[in-house]
Amino acid sequence: MTTKNGMITKIKDYMLLREVMVILVILALLTFLFTSRGVPIILTIFIDFAIFAIITMSLNLETGYTGIPQFGRVAAVIVGAFAVGSIPGRIMARFMGFPWGIEYASDTVNFKVVPQITALLASNWLLSLGFLVLSLTVAALSGAAIGWLISRPAIRLKEAYLGISLLAFGDFFMWVGHNWKGMVGGSVPVNVPDPFRIFAGNRFTIIVLVIFTIAFLVFVFLNKLTKSPFGRSLRMIRDNDMAAAAAGKNIVTVRTRSLVIGSALAAIGGGLYVLYVGSVASIGFSRLTFTFWPWAFMMLGGIGSNIGVLLGVFLLCILRTMIVIFRSQWFGFLLVVGIDPLWLEFTLMGAVIIGVILFLPYGLVPEKIEPMLPANRVKRVLAGRQ
Amino acid sequence: MSNILVTENVTKKFEGLVAVNKANIVVKENSFTLLIGPNGSGKTTLINCCTGILKPTSGRVMLGDTDITGWKPHQIYDVGFVRTFQIPLPFIGLTVLDNVLGAMRNIGESPVKAISKRTWVEEEEKNMIHAMEILAKVGLDKHWNLPSGALGAAQLKLLEVAKGLSSGAKIIALDEPIGGVDPASAHEILSHVAELKSEGLTFLVVEHRIDIAAPFADYIYAMDLGTIISEGPPEQVLNDPKVIEVYIGKGVEAC
Ligand SMILES: Nc1ncnc2c1ncn2[C@@H]1O[C@H](COP(=O)(O)OP(=O)(O)OP(=O)(O)O)[C@@H](O)[C@H]1O
Ligand SMILES: [Mg+2]
Repeated sequence: MTTKNGMITKIKDYMLLREVMVILVILALLTFLFTSRGVPIILTIFIDFAIFAIITMSLNLETGYTGIPQFGRVAAVIVGAFAVGSIPGRIMARFMGFPWGIEYASDTVNFKVVPQITALLASNWLLSLGFLVLSLTVAALSGAAIGWLISRPAIRLKEAYLGISLLAFGDFFMWVGHNWKGMVGGSVPVNVPDPFRIFAGNRFTIIVLVIFTIAFLVFVFLNKLTKSPFGRSLRMIRDNDMAAAAAGKNIVTVRTRSLVIGSALAAIGGGLYVLYVGSVASIGFSRLTFTFWPWAFMMLGGIGSNIGVLLGVFLLCILRTMIVIFRSQWFGFLLVVGIDPLWLEFTLMGAVIIGVILFLPYGLVPEKIEPMLPANRVKRVLAGRQ
Repeated sequence: MSNILVTENVTKKFEGLVAVNKANIVVKENSFTLLIGPNGSGKTTLINCCTGILKPTSGRVMLGDTDITGWKPHQIYDVGFVRTFQIPLPFIGLTVLDNVLGAMRNIGESPVKAISKRTWVEEEEKNMIHAMEILAKVGLDKHWNLPSGALGAAQLKLLEVAKGLSSGAKIIALDEPIGGVDPASAHEILSHVAELKSEGLTFLVVEHRIDIAAPFADYIYAMDLGTIISEGPPEQVLNDPKVIEVYIGKGVEAC
């Protein structure tokens, strides 16, 4: 008995060890970057981490928990970005008596109007806060709407077909944004009023705090959502949709809800990104960055595990930044054999995906299979049976 | 006793193959109706047509006064008719307990309620008490906390039955609930089914192991090549020369 218990503790220790090791690696890399490059790079990584954490957790809801092959994550991110780029600024412009129609997005008007809106926001913290809340609400609503819209034709399709249609939708929105000048300027970036200007020199730090807080709230929200009877329905549909239907689950409704919630969260991620950058350039929203990277983050972290996803995102965001910073310095020699280190970022993603599939099929932190009912209640039921 | 499930000339064709051919069966309320027949005779296909997994090519399925032909499985679940699968389909990402709980209803299945634990946790606790009772009846209560993927084949069969029995439906179709289960447990499971029947439930059971199942049956339908070839009380059907012939003629190859 003792040896068996000892074994179990050992396995548990090992699991915990893995999480601790990942955290240590993350801290080591951060320290290295901090000493060699200073604070700004750390803050950039933090922002990257928090935004991608939101987006990847939303992907995990749809793919990890529900089994929807979401290869079009970029669609909802773009819609969130465009919504924040086009709607709240126009509302402000309207109230301030500036042009707010199609002209708002034309570069000649836009670069004059937006600084004045920002100036007004910076004069009043309530206005700034209101603008932030409005932006995120608009992003979430647009994301939810697009999630619902996409789900209509697609949701009844089987895995591969569903994946391909979602991928196509992602690209569709990218090209709409790129060509629709009247909305967010098409290929010309549109500036976005800055609700963080009020913090002047501390802007960067405050943004980090705000985005971190939102990412944390999303994490809490998703943990509640997935450890519940709703979360159980998601997993049932993921594991076997026919058996789930026979157990009374409406597959179309549940998948739609998952897509709508996931898309709303991803859109918040896209909206925050735009507020942070201060402009929307549709070309910046590529399938690679906002679909494939989140997939790599999720696969490394652990499909169906929100904690795992956070670790996966953090680790890869750091590695990615390091590659971008150091590629020419460390890997310049590759040019000799005709490989441009510019491509290392993509190579990293491919390597991560292949490595995870081969060596860590359940990711850094595998999904926990445990009852939805809180442990104290479970104990009570078990005690009552004796 | 009134009729709870009636199929009227239900036919299912798979590209030329007529898997079920104008099947007419009547399941009386609060009965144990047994459906027998050699391999490939269309029993599972008939159940699939009744529970929305397949759409019949023609014919009608009536549940009480409601025409449920072509309804979706979850709609049929909603009107109190559930089924289990011949080949167990466990939810491998869930514990044994949650496999059973998933077949029950809880207000927390709505995402809005899900995020506020106190709206669903009481109901979940009650459901767990019920689920544990059913798991005990099929002998899986000790394994409640295991991932369902860790169960063996016979245990998965038992879990499949437990999912069906927990649903709170008024009529339950069990597709070979005791296939591959040892005789003693098989008898125990069917006794439990009989007990639930005495509480008012109705059962439509597909089973190959007639020796174990027949004593529980009120009425038997025998199928061969998609057609109902015999029906009646157990003694009558089991002594029907047509039934004996298909079982002797084909039973041998089937083994
Ligand atoms: N989805 C399907 N597509 C094509 N043919 C099918 C399909 N499902 C069943 N069949 C065929 O229909 C016939 C009846 O099959 P069914 O599974 O209903 O038999 P069964 O009586 O349940 O047999 P068993 O005792 O082996 O479970 C078989 O010939 C089978 O091959
Ligand atoms: Mg069968």
